[in-house]
Amino acid sequence: MKKMLRSTYFRITVLAVVIAGAVSLGFILRSADNSETILTEKSPSTIELPVDRAVIPSLPAPDDATKAVPVFGNWKNFTTKDGLPSDKCYCVRVIEGKVYVGTHDGLAVYDNGKWKTYTSKDGLAHNGVVSVDYSPITGDIWIGTLGGLTKWSGGKFEVFNQFNSGMPNDLVYMVICDGKDVWCTTGGGAGHYDTFTKKWEIFTEMNAPMHEPWTYGVSAGDGKIFIAAWGGGVIEYNTKTKQFRDYVDPDGFMEIDLQPDDGVVHDITTATSWSEGILWVSSYFGMSRYDGKYWKGYFKEDSGLASNFINFLRAEGHVAYMCTDNGFSSTNGTNWVTYKKNENDANGVAVVTIGGVKKEIPQSPSISHNFIIGVDGQDDVMWVATSKGVSRGEKLKL
Amino acid sequence: MIKRFLIIFLFGTVTLFNAYAQVKPANYGNIPDELVGYDKYMKAYKYHFIEPLIFYGAGREKPFPTGLKEVRLGFLGPLEGSILVREGTQMLQGTMLAIEEANKRGGYKGIPYKLMVHNDVGLWGAAANEIVAMDDEGVWAWLGSIDDIVSHVAIRATLKLEIPNVNTGDPDPTFTETNIPWVVRTIPDDRQSSYIMVNKIYVKDGHKRVAMIRANNRYGRVGTLHFNRTATRLGFPIVIEERFKDGETDFSTQLERIKKTNPDAIAMWGNAKESALILKQIRAMGLKQPVYASDRIVNNTFLEMAGNLAEGLVTTCQYNPDADDPKLKKFKAEYHKRFGMEPDVFAAHSYDGMNIMIKSIERAGLNRAIIRDVLTDMKITNGYKGVTGELVYDGTWNNIRPIYMAEVKNGKFVFSPAQKWEREDVIYKKPSSRYADSGGYR
Repeated sequence: MKKMLRSTYFRITVLAVVIAGAVSLGFILRSADNSETILTEKSPSTIELPVDRAVIPSLPAPDDATKAVPVFGNWKNFTTKDGLPSDKCYCVRVIEGKVYVGTHDGLAVYDNGKWKTYTSKDGLAHNGVVSVDYSPITGDIWIGTLGGLTKWSGGKFEVFNQFNSGMPNDLVYMVICDGKDVWCTTGGGAGHYDTFTKKWEIFTEMNAPMHEPWTYGVSAGDGKIFIAAWGGGVIEYNTKTKQFRDYVDPDGFMEIDLQPDDGVVHDITTATSWSEGILWVSSYFGMSRYDGKYWKGYFKEDSGLASNFINFLRAEGHVAYMCTDNGFSSTNGTNWVTYKKNENDANGVAVVTIGGVKKEIPQSPSISHNFIIGVDGQDDVMWVATSKGVSRGEKLKL
Repeated sequence: MIKRFLIIFLFGTVTLFNAYAQVKPANYGNIPDELVGYDKYMKAYKYHFIEPLIFYGAGREKPFPTGLKEVRLGFLGPLEGSILVREGTQMLQGTMLAIEEANKRGGYKGIPYKLMVHNDVGLWGAAANEIVAMDDEGVWAWLGSIDDIVSHVAIRATLKLEIPNVNTGDPDPTFTETNIPWVVRTIPDDRQSSYIMVNKIYVKDGHKRVAMIRANNRYGRVGTLHFNRTATRLGFPIVIEERFKDGETDFSTQLERIKKTNPDAIAMWGNAKESALILKQIRAMGLKQPVYASDRIVNNTFLEMAGNLAEGLVTTCQYNPDADDPKLKKFKAEYHKRFGMEPDVFAAHSYDGMNIMIKSIERAGLNRAIIRDVLTDMKITNGYKGVTGELVYDGTWNNIRPIYMAEVKNGKFVFSPAQKWEREDVIYKKPSSRYADSGGYR
């Protein structure tokens, strides 16, 4: 040992390690100082810089911050082995006790513990079913497909497409019912159908504040329609005044988000959902929350969000549920619950984040797959559509 | 003592270098340091597109099909009813040549490739319907298109349906900024062209007051976006921007307004036919300013229409059509033999794009998710050398390889390497164009 300590090379090595340690320490300390502008690598896909959010008026703590975000578990997963027509599930909707799952190869309806499939042979516009909604006023179910819109009424299917109606495009990304009105977002603009007058309206860049008529998501609330325009942020339509306004990322650059709380985090939006006075907006770059006065941005790197690539979101009550490409997340704007399945087995974990403190709850089994595309819940039961089946979870009593 | 000092110094330097190297993000879009948005004033909260997205969805587990009689590949391009039929036809022919050559080599394990051709013009959003049709047809991947709107609508559908797409003709910078992990683009975009043109017009040629006349469509609007931004950042906002419709033939109103501003130079951003007519009318009005144009003019249509007036006109080109490259010469000869015409930029890039697609399929097997994995694996694809040059992807699978200047001399376009706009202290640091452990298919 003494011989080794006397060794010149050993001394040199020790000295070099000390220098390296000092350099690394300085680097770490410098990164931690927000007054510096040194890049800090936070994730493989994004680089976060220590920018002070206070430049933009900060969002007050949400009123519902103290309300709990429910945790779901006891997951039961369904795939083609259980009767689904395809494992690729695009959407799920719970309507009066039945569960409607849109898949690549048809619509599956879960009733009394059994699945029944409907396809174009039964009258659907196309087998690829990507969205489902229900009108309590008429009792009709509206089905958005890759090849048109289908109304399911009185046991019969009626197809709406570009050639027999005023539909803007046959690829329907989403359909919702708002009172007597049906709204759909398509690759050729947003469509509005008045079920009383049976008239269509089409909204594109010609008559609405969109750069191009690429619309993807739509939701209703507070007398407004919120359209997720792909590349155009959020288009808000006031159903009373018939007026539009848009919400875009103010920095004007696609490759950066200058300030997370200055508007939607990115112009390429994927879904909107309004609930209890809050508008939630998802994108492939993170998520936004708008209370009518303040915007707040959320990213994987600064919240409990599973991933910044969000396929869809739906808000129920004070909680928003986010369908990301790498996990299922829920939040009330402050606290988070994120579900992730293990890569190599059926188990997983629910990560609960409260006040920045994380707690993991093991789940066996977990959700069917981490690539989440759709979500809906009712009566303490949550359904999640994934690219490998659909999952049913129950609210846990913790 | 000196030896000891040197060893310590060397070790410390390497350690320091490595520590800071970790925080250098990868290049995005060849953005010069001084053009990174807001960077002179503050750092952005987030920088996107640093690393390529991973596709986390299911699909890789699907078994390869058996009993296939043909391997279907999709094509989406303007073939009728569009002002881009000439370009679309060239794109189709380049694609066909690549497929025919692949089938001569034996196709996919003895199964011939079959091109499922779709026209991209129709009702609004028709491209989305065409991608759904391709899914119904069972294509394994598809190539296209040129028009910005068509391409954007189509890739949203390809994301939903999870079909790999190789784009070889749409230069819209925002195309790959959509963050879709199923899309790659082989043709350098208008961001690259804008940087080069601004450097040429303002820095090299010293103009300060430049007028812009552009197509009043997405190609014109998005194409000039980075040109205008870049010129403004240099301190020279364009003095006037005039717009014209596709198919318009009389530009006197716009040019009269431009004339009143007495610009140093005039830039055009539009298709070949309209650009040639504008150039003629510029000279007919007695305007003698130098004229620059977007790269859509690099074809015989423009040269024939503009005639002698084209002399000295400067533009850019995404590759060097006259490169002394045996691969390119062979392609040009085969193309001329097969179709009786010279290939243009759309033919050359679609030939490369389809070859990349075929090579990816032959490496991956018949599974869309795995084909996507290969197409987007930069260890495999970066550095691939086609007839148009090398693939150098950034984090969005956007080809940021160096492009060329093109100047009309003696009735022909003469190509030369474009001067790089690059500094060492960039935020979006340029990556190596090759990976040492490639194992790729170049």
